[in-house]
Amino acid sequence: MKTPRILERESVLAPLMLTPVALYMVLLVGFPFLMAFVYSFSNVTVGNPEFQMVGFRNFAAVLHDPTFLKSLLNTCIFTFTSIATVLVLSNMLTELLMREFRFKWLIRFLIMLPWTAPIALGAIGYLWFLDSVFSPIDWLLRTWGLLGKPGDLLGPMSNLYWLGRPDLAMASVIVVHVWRLLPLATMIRIAGMNSIPREVIEAAQVDGAGYFRRLFHIVLPLLLPVISVTVLFSTLFTFTDMTVVWVLTKGGPPDNSTQVLASLAFLKGIQGGDLAQGAAVAIFFFPVLAGVAAVVLRIAKKAVVT
Amino acid sequence: MKRKFSRREFIKDMGVGAVAIAAGPAFLNDVLAQTPGRRTLRILQWSHFVPTHDKWFDQWAKEWGEKNNIDVIVDHIGLADLRSTFASEVAAGKGHDIVEFIDPPSDFEPSVMDLADLNKEAEKRFGKQLPVATRSSYNPHTKKYYGFCHGWTIDPGDYRQSLWEKAGKPDGPVTWEDLIVYGSKIKNEQGIQMGIGISQELDTNMAERTLLWSFDSSIQDDSSNVILDNKNTVDAVKFMVELYQKTMTPEVFGWTAASNNQLLIAGKASYILNSVSAYRSAQKDVPEVAKDIFFTPALKGPRGTAHACEHVIYVTVIPKFAEKNADLAKKFLLDRVANYDRAIWESKLYNSPSFFNTAIPAGERGYPAVAHAKHLRDLHNAWFAKDPFALPGERTDKLLPLKDAEKWSVNVGFPGTSNPAEGEIFGTFVLPGMFARVAQGKQSAEESVKQAHEQCKVIFDKWRAQGLIGGKK
Repeated sequence: MKTPRILERESVLAPLMLTPVALYMVLLVGFPFLMAFVYSFSNVTVGNPEFQMVGFRNFAAVLHDPTFLKSLLNTCIFTFTSIATVLVLSNMLTELLMREFRFKWLIRFLIMLPWTAPIALGAIGYLWFLDSVFSPIDWLLRTWGLLGKPGDLLGPMSNLYWLGRPDLAMASVIVVHVWRLLPLATMIRIAGMNSIPREVIEAAQVDGAGYFRRLFHIVLPLLLPVISVTVLFSTLFTFTDMTVVWVLTKGGPPDNSTQVLASLAFLKGIQGGDLAQGAAVAIFFFPVLAGVAAVVLRIAKKAVVT
Repeated sequence: MKRKFSRREFIKDMGVGAVAIAAGPAFLNDVLAQTPGRRTLRILQWSHFVPTHDKWFDQWAKEWGEKNNIDVIVDHIGLADLRSTFASEVAAGKGHDIVEFIDPPSDFEPSVMDLADLNKEAEKRFGKQLPVATRSSYNPHTKKYYGFCHGWTIDPGDYRQSLWEKAGKPDGPVTWEDLIVYGSKIKNEQGIQMGIGISQELDTNMAERTLLWSFDSSIQDDSSNVILDNKNTVDAVKFMVELYQKTMTPEVFGWTAASNNQLLIAGKASYILNSVSAYRSAQKDVPEVAKDIFFTPALKGPRGTAHACEHVIYVTVIPKFAEKNADLAKKFLLDRVANYDRAIWESKLYNSPSFFNTAIPAGERGYPAVAHAKHLRDLHNAWFAKDPFALPGERTDKLLPLKDAEKWSVNVGFPGTSNPAEGEIFGTFVLPGMFARVAQGKQSAEESVKQAHEQCKVIFDKWRAQGLIGGKK
């Protein structure tokens, strides 16, 4: 069948091809965002869709709420620790996977595995790993004589109670989130590494540059656009995600030791019935995140140009 | 001859297939369940903890539909999805005709019908409704019945008799103080802990309210004024901290709603607060543990007060958008109450009725007839005196202490009625935070209670401004 001539014109074809994406953005991203924005300035509740505008009252209320302030701090700890850990580990994994060794394909496959499984499923698996009574990690520690008896390195208690102690619970959600993000970050790093011309690295080697000099003066500057985008997306994703926290701790142990802004928004908006305050919590950091995105994208663009 | 698929055809067919697979089951279920020209009644409710109940209910609803020339569609969803699903239906202005919650959905009041007529008719047919049911479905401030409560679930104490016998208290605890005295003895001498959560989950929310009420305190008074910051609350918090330190481990801070059941069934808890479902699970999975599980009514506080939170309260609503089917919905709900003997039986005594004076229908009822039983009260008394689901060789009188549970069971919000502020405090785990901050040594009991009081006041003020609750402070 012959293609209609009008479709051969770029001015027609391009908008046509972009329409599905634009529709998707407007209907599934733009519209809900606009609703959240309007809701955050209203007194809407989950049981009453009719509402009145109340100005900045919801934002003032959440700023006075100790749970919000704690969730904000938790979100920052959760996000920045996760991202920093992912950056370091993905760098190490990239170095490993850039070398040739036997069964490299198997290692790559295993590293990618967490990315292919639904996160809720993975998190439920971790829920069992970190169970307060039946944790196999605790069982191993007891078997190795590190836990369970007076004088043992990790204490005399039979379990570590991963999700029952505030510090261990936060560490647990960070570890699971890192496990979830690491595959993609590593693959992006490997793709970036492959784009660096070999001769540049080899020339530096010939000139006597050691590993760290090559890493900090050649590899990382050349990878800056890739790393910036990875960090940007991972930060935005982590800042606004609640899956791992919700499945593992529901924001606990009390008092909200692992509560993050995204889970607090759900808790207030749906569980608590106050949709307006839930929306206010959800979009509170939109201006900051938008600013961060703009700055990082600018840095990445500059790095490409130079 | 083999037909070759082009790549384009393949993608197209796959796309159609994917849509059919994704949307098909729900759409097909609805379409197949409907008969052209007949009215349809759609019901949304949770997946019951006792699966035999849902099996019976779905069949009964279908037969009810046949009898009344109506298509009845019952959708069961997970407990955690009920609120968000109904919230979307309210926002969309369409959805199910009857929605059943297991906690009071008081914040949905503006979007649901006033069911005063249904409640009045039910009392006319089935006698007085239990106060715990009325207080979970009626708003005295707006004078509106936002729901209809057909049943509820008892929340007793479950204890392992052999452990308590060795500790010198064979009939289990009677007071909260007994939990510290004998619970610590059991932990120190037998190595088994107690299982009352201090976590951000449902059972903790209930247990902490139960403790508060038994210490003669509460979040609100009977006029919806916040009164949490008082000496009795401080005493209750200090008691909980002592109980935790002497009888439990940090695991209780990380519990889910299933954790205390699991601990009891695994034989690692001396006492938990939970419905009979934990015991029924043990009967199925670990009979030797089940045979050792016994029950206590609400424990007495320092001044002899004993209250316990209902474990589940079935409150059904009819959304305003379903008004055209309200007549069917009301008829269905009244007939459901008339057949509540089956709900009790099929849930293995998990469900208790809100209308104890309901007459037992004549004829074969699907369970062994109980001599001289005319009303649900007679059945309830007979079954709680001699548990028909006891295992062979197991004592059959274990449920006897729960026979009069309606006398000590109260609603979320007691001594007032359930309301949206109490719901938000429950849903956002204000009380678990109050107890945990002290148990973790982060605040004194006085400071923590004051902080929780202020949080509650803000929440009450907000809902008061919405016109849904009374009170002044």
